[in-house]
Amino acid sequence: MQPTHTRLDAATDEALLEVKDVKTHFFTDEGIVKAVEGVNLSLKRGQTLCVVGESGCGKSVTARSILRIVPPPGEIVSGEILFRQRDGSAIDLAKLNPKGREIREIRGGEISMIFQEPMSSLSPVHTIGSQIMEAILLHLPVTKQEARKRAVSMLDLVGIPRPSETLDAYSFELSGGMRQRAMIAIALACEPQLLIADEPTTALDVTTQANILDLIADLQQQSGMSVLFITHDLGVVAEIADEVIVMYLGRDVESGDVDAIFHDPKHPYTRALLQSIPRYDSRDNKRLYSIKGTVPHPFDRPTGCPFHPRCDDFIPEQCNRVDPQRIFLSGDHSVRCLLYPTAASHSPDEELAT
Amino acid sequence: MIWYIARRIIYLIPTLLIISVIAFAVIQLPPGDFLASLISKAEETVDQAQVDALRERYGLDEPIYVQYWKWISGIITRGDFGDSFEWNRPVSDLIWERLGLTMVISLFTLAFVWIVAIPIGIYSAVKKYTIGDYLVTIIGFIGLAIPNFLLALVLMYIAFRYFGQSVGGLFSPEYIEADWSLERALDLLSHLWLPVIILGTAGTAALIRVMRANLLDELSKLYVDAARARGLSELKLLFKYPVRVALNPLVSAMAWVFPALVSGSAITSIVLNLQTTGPLLYRSLQAQDMYLAGSLILLVSVLTIIGTLISDILLAWIDPRIQLQ
Repeated sequence: MQPTHTRLDAATDEALLEVKDVKTHFFTDEGIVKAVEGVNLSLKRGQTLCVVGESGCGKSVTARSILRIVPPPGEIVSGEILFRQRDGSAIDLAKLNPKGREIREIRGGEISMIFQEPMSSLSPVHTIGSQIMEAILLHLPVTKQEARKRAVSMLDLVGIPRPSETLDAYSFELSGGMRQRAMIAIALACEPQLLIADEPTTALDVTTQANILDLIADLQQQSGMSVLFITHDLGVVAEIADEVIVMYLGRDVESGDVDAIFHDPKHPYTRALLQSIPRYDSRDNKRLYSIKGTVPHPFDRPTGCPFHPRCDDFIPEQCNRVDPQRIFLSGDHSVRCLLYPTAASHSPDEELAT
Repeated sequence: MIWYIARRIIYLIPTLLIISVIAFAVIQLPPGDFLASLISKAEETVDQAQVDALRERYGLDEPIYVQYWKWISGIITRGDFGDSFEWNRPVSDLIWERLGLTMVISLFTLAFVWIVAIPIGIYSAVKKYTIGDYLVTIIGFIGLAIPNFLLALVLMYIAFRYFGQSVGGLFSPEYIEADWSLERALDLLSHLWLPVIILGTAGTAALIRVMRANLLDELSKLYVDAARARGLSELKLLFKYPVRVALNPLVSAMAWVFPALVSGSAITSIVLNLQTTGPLLYRSLQAQDMYLAGSLILLVSVLTIIGTLISDILLAWIDPRIQLQ
C-alpha cells in the first residue's frame, strides 16, 4: 500500500467523504431499530478506510446510507454525509432525495458499490455486458458501440479471460470469483472517486478472496480512487487499511489509523476483537479468547455505553448510565469509552442531562 | 434451442398416447354399453339390423384394446371421432366450431387477465402496505370469492336492464346459424366482452396476487440494489430487472388457463348460453353420450399439452437459465 501513501502526500489533504454523526433508523411495526446510531468517518483521496465489526453492527447500513440505498422502512434521521464531487463542490448526500437525479448521477458515476454476494448481485436474466454497458451509458457521453468497447476493456482490466465472450455470458455461467470481478468491472466502469466494497470477499473461498483483494488494491493504485471497505475480517483490515473504524451496535466505538488500532487499541471492544484472532504462533495451549455474551437484540439496546454488558472493564454505575462521547486521544485516534476520562465524563449526572 | 423444442415435441408422443387411453377409459367407465342407453332413449323401436350395424362399426363385441385401436386409428387416419348419440351426428361436425369459439374466448380472456392483472400486481407490490395496495387486495379477494356464474347473472341483468343489450350467447340471433363473414365476426366481438370479463375476473384476482408475491420476492434481491447503486432511475430499474424476472413464472402458468376455461367455466357458459365446449361436455356426460365426451376430453387435453409446450418454449426463450437445467 506504500504508493497510495505517497500519492496522498502529493495531493491536497482534503477529505473526499466526511460522515458526521449519521443515524439511520428502521421504523418497523415492532418498533424502531437503530441500525446506525451516530457514525463519524472521514476518508481522504486515494486512501482505504476499513469498517469492522460483528454482524448486525450497522456496517452495511452505513455504506448504504452513503449511497442513499437504505431499503424501506429505513431512513437517515440525522447527520451529514459530505461528499466532494469531481467539480470540487461539496454536497450533503443525506439531504438529497433518494430517488432524485442528483443522487442518481453520483451513484455509479462518482461513488460505486460492490456487494457481499456476487451470486445474487447480478441479474439472472441479463448478460454481464448489458449490465456494464448500462452503467457506462448512464454516466458517460458515449455511443452504444463505444460503451461495448469500454465494457470489454473493463472486463479485461479486472482479469476476466476472453472478455469479449464473457460480455455476452449470463451470471450463472460464471464462477463466484469471476462474478465478483464482473461486479468490480461494472462498479469501476465510470471511474468513480469512491468505491464502497461491502464484504466483497466474504462469500468467496480464500484463494479467490486474496485475488479479489489484490485486484482492488491494483485498481486503486492505478486510478487513485478511495475505497471504503467493509469487513469483519481483521486479517483483511491489517492487509489493506489506511484507516480503521470499529463499529459496535451502530456506533463508531474506536477509529484511527491502522497502526494505532492494531498496536495501541484503546476501546475494550477493539482489544477483545484483536484477542479473538486465532494465532498459530501462540505456544501455550490456551483456549481461544471470545467476547462474552452476544450482540443484544435490536429492540433491547443497553443504556449508557452499548457495549457495557459484555465489557471486561465495566465500571458499575457509570458505563450503564453514561453514554460515552467521542474523545480524541492523539491526532485522529478517537474512542468512545469512559475509561479515558474527559472533563465531562467525571460527572455522570451532568452527562445524563445533556 | 431447436434441440430443446425437438426434445419437447418427442416427449409429447407418449403423453398424448397415455391421454388417449385415459380418455377412452372414460368412455368405457359407465356400466352397460352405450348402445343400451341409445336404445332405451329411442322413442320408436330400433331395428336389430341397425343395432348390429352399430355394434359392428364400433366393434363392441370385441375386446377393449381392439375397440381402442378402432377409435384411435379412426381419429388418426380419418379424423373420425365417432358419432354423438344424442345429436345423431358425427362428433367432428359438432366440436370444431365450438372448439374454435372456446379458443377465441380463452385467448381474449388470457389477454384481458394479463393486461389488467400485471399492472395492478406491479402497483400493489411497489406500493406495498399502502391504501392503494389494500384497496386492490380487497377488490381482488372479492373477485376471487364471487362465483363466476353469479357474476354472470348480475352482469347480464345490468347489461339488459341499463344498456338494453341482448345478453347471453356469443352472437345476435340473426347470426347464430349464419356462415362466417366479417359482420358475424364483428357481432362476435361485440358479444365477447361480457363472457371475457366474467371468465377473467377470478383469474385476474388470482394473477394480481401471484404477480404481487413474485415481484415482492424480486424487489428485495441484491441485483435490484446493485442496479440502483449504478444510478438507474426507479422506473427503468423496476421494469428492466424485477418485473422482467417476476414475469417468468407467469409465462409458465399460461397453459393452465386452457383446461380451466374449458372445463372450469362450464357452469358460466351454460348461464351465459355460450357455444363453447364446456356446456357440450357437461351435457354429453349427463346423457352418457360417450364418444362425444371422450373426444372432447381428448381434444381439451391435447390443447392443454400444446399450450404447455408453447409456454415452455416461450419460457426457454425469455429465461436464459432454462436450457441448461
